[in-house]
Amino acid sequence: MRVLVVDDHPMWREGVRADLEREGEFLVVAQAADGTEGVRAARAHRPDLVLLDLSMPGMSGGEAIGRLLVEVPAARVLVLSASGEAPDVLDAVKAGASGYLLKSSTAVELRAAARQVVDGEPVFSPTLAALVLGEFRRVAAGAPTDGRPAGGHDPARLTERETEVLRYVARGYPYRDVADTLVISVRTVQNHVQSIFRKLQVSSRYELMRLALERGLDQDRAHPPPG
Amino acid sequence: MSTPTQAGRRARVLAGAASRPGALLAGVLVVRWCVLAWLVLLVVLGDGRLHVPSGLVAASVTATWTLLLTWRRPPWSPSWLGADLALCAALLVVAAVAPSLATVYPVAAAVTWGAVAGARAGTVAGAVLGAVYVTAHVIEGLTLAAVDESVLDVAGDSFSLVLAGAGVGLVSTLVQRSEAAVRAAEGDRLRAVERAARLGEREVLARQVHDSVLQALTLVHKRGRELAAQPVVGPADVQGLADLAATQERDLRELLLRSRREEPAPAPAGAGHAGASLRQRLLAAAAARPGLDVQVSTVVDRLLPARLVSEVGAAVEECLSNVERHAGTRSVWVFAEDEGVELVVSVRDDGAGFVLDEARMEAAGRMGLRGSVVGRVGDLGGRVEVRSTPGRGTEVELRVPLPVAGAVGHDGARG
Repeated sequence: MRVLVVDDHPMWREGVRADLEREGEFLVVAQAADGTEGVRAARAHRPDLVLLDLSMPGMSGGEAIGRLLVEVPAARVLVLSASGEAPDVLDAVKAGASGYLLKSSTAVELRAAARQVVDGEPVFSPTLAALVLGEFRRVAAGAPTDGRPAGGHDPARLTERETEVLRYVARGYPYRDVADTLVISVRTVQNHVQSIFRKLQVSSRYELMRLALERGLDQDRAHPPPG
Repeated sequence: MSTPTQAGRRARVLAGAASRPGALLAGVLVVRWCVLAWLVLLVVLGDGRLHVPSGLVAASVTATWTLLLTWRRPPWSPSWLGADLALCAALLVVAAVAPSLATVYPVAAAVTWGAVAGARAGTVAGAVLGAVYVTAHVIEGLTLAAVDESVLDVAGDSFSLVLAGAGVGLVSTLVQRSEAAVRAAEGDRLRAVERAARLGEREVLARQVHDSVLQALTLVHKRGRELAAQPVVGPADVQGLADLAATQERDLRELLLRSRREEPAPAPAGAGHAGASLRQRLLAAAAARPGLDVQVSTVVDRLLPARLVSEVGAAVEECLSNVERHAGTRSVWVFAEDEGVELVVSVRDDGAGFVLDEARMEAAGRMGLRGSVVGRVGDLGGRVEVRSTPGRGTEVELRVPLPVAGAVGHDGARG
């Protein structure tokens, strides 16, 4: 598996590379120190997995992820956060990250998360579940999220089942226990989680599309195209 | 050096103070009294030229007005200014009819207009008064065309009214402008002092934290070398190292975040706030147990009643203490959700679990859960549910009724 590591601390980049390459599963094909370099490296090396630090100066995490996925749509993004600050992590996931890991995670945890993400399974920690719960609640209440205007389009809503799954994950239940409690299979739980992620990303993509359309329409009105 | 709050307060007071020409108006008031005394003297001495009844009336009205001004110290709104002008115009009419030095008092009106509203207003007031004076004299038989001494007197008096109004108005404007400049400079200076004090405080704090972080790093270094020299290393030793690092990491990050946002240190609990942050309380409970890896996740957007937060926090601490004692694991998840009518808090560990045999528990003296947790939650009108499976961990769920949304404030820390 080919990996791109984006982090502004050389010490961390080296550490992550050592952890990933220890078992021979992963190969770090490129490193970058900020979002712009990362996008360039992605274009050049086309990695399968991108590990991105959230607390870099310059381009925000969400923006970097958006651009990276435009360059290499098939890549998966796993975000590394030193602190798990809520808005940054949510933005990252909405922009297309498959989950986040605290930087204080062990090498074993890192490799397991990387493997999971490459397989297409989001890394869904209890803290992230709580953040997502909060986000959907705000969307459902019609409250503005991140200062963007509320309503306007049909916001993606969670089903009852999906909300239940979210709640159990937020309480710290591993998928197996969620499955047992809800009397469904682990596979079903995973499907629910993927659906939740998709809804989160779709709702943010709708928002971006809508804003882009609005801006486009405004421009047309101000400068009507010739003819 | 003054504290940041003192300096800040002074800066704000200065910036907000209205610009009133107070000193000028006080001076005018003194002049009014002097002239009034002179007027009264004239009436009393009974100058032959004075028409006594009108003089008396004029003196008493003027005295009443001056008394009112001294007692009420009015804000000199347009109505007050108009009244003053009217009175003085009337005085000038009287003066034209019954000559006396009643022309001195009306200058006060022109001067007050100038002091309050600037040179233009002062000129207008003076011009109005002058016009009234001249007109009154003309009506009384003064022939302007004659250009004799009396005409020159009247003209001079009218002119000096205009001059006085304009002159004092100009002075007032200049004084106010310079006062404003001084105030702005003073405000800037105080704000700079406040910032310096705040930065000073933060530096002290930063130094303290950096000190303790350096100490911790040295300790980690030392312990690391010691452990490396041991033939056999226990997990507990190494975990101790990790915990030490984690605590310092958290402290330092909190300081950095706070300084980035330029926030003051958090107010102590119960500092008269209407509500409290449950998230902060739960994070504090987690921090108090370095022997556990506690993940706190909250879906609570608003501040909750302080007592509820405090009691729930204490109950969660009890649960954590229980986990540390009995569960045999380090991993704990604390989850809180505001369900509108109820607050749900879950404390879950992935430890040994147990069979819920209350009789056996009581016998073994494991009253921790029942005692304070159930007691506290019960006092809040809520209930506790415990779920456990041997080998698959334990979950303690607290449900507490909540006041109606909107009754308390907003919790900025989300997630």
